[in-house]
Amino acid sequence: MVAREQFAWVWLLTLVATYAVYFTAVVLTGETTFWTQIIMFAATAIVQVVIIAVASAMIALRRRNELSGDERDLAIEQRATAVAYNILVTGIVLVGCVLPFTQSGWKLFNAAVFAIALAEIVRHGLIIVMYRKGLKESKASRGWHG
Amino acid sequence: MGERRLTNSIRTMRFMASEMTQAELGERIGVTRQTIAAIEAGKYSPTLEAAFRIAEVFGKPLEEVFQWGYVDVA
Repeated sequence: MVAREQFAWVWLLTLVATYAVYFTAVVLTGETTFWTQIIMFAATAIVQVVIIAVASAMIALRRRNELSGDERDLAIEQRATAVAYNILVTGIVLVGCVLPFTQSGWKLFNAAVFAIALAEIVRHGLIIVMYRKGLKESKASRGWHG
Repeated sequence: MGERRLTNSIRTMRFMASEMTQAELGERIGVTRQTIAAIEAGKYSPTLEAAFRIAEVFGKPLEEVFQWGYVDVA
């Protein structure tokens, strides 16, 4: 497994685990105070930063020569990022242009966080899939470098 | 008739080049061992530049190393 796939696993597992806890807490607590929301979100963000920083440093120390990546790493990252970008834009359009007519406050904030989390989870998930399975070539596909 | 795909003879070429390792080939063209493994397995299509570099390492024309043809798919 190349270093970049290991990074993707760390990000994916961390994001899924921490956001699962965060959004479960958001749903269970319902309407909360400003500071309760801030503390829940800050705790989630801090846990993410610590786990990802420690795990990434460990991978980087062991796989120093692979960190710069090669053309395959770049192609995989570009394709995954392109898909995630579309998810992110769709989510942000919903949050910024549609939801304000029916929702407000923390619901808007959490909807935006959900869109960002979903885009990131899809991005890292796709990176892992492409490292493992390659790219399904088809007539509709632009190929690896299209 | 199957699907049109890029196939290659890199495994054979490595064998004929005194069993050159994937790591050695990768080092010579500037990619990782895993990328060479992915190219050999048909899981990644290299850039044209990398393809030419691979052919150059084996001293063969590009079309002897890479082929564009029909392959049977399950």
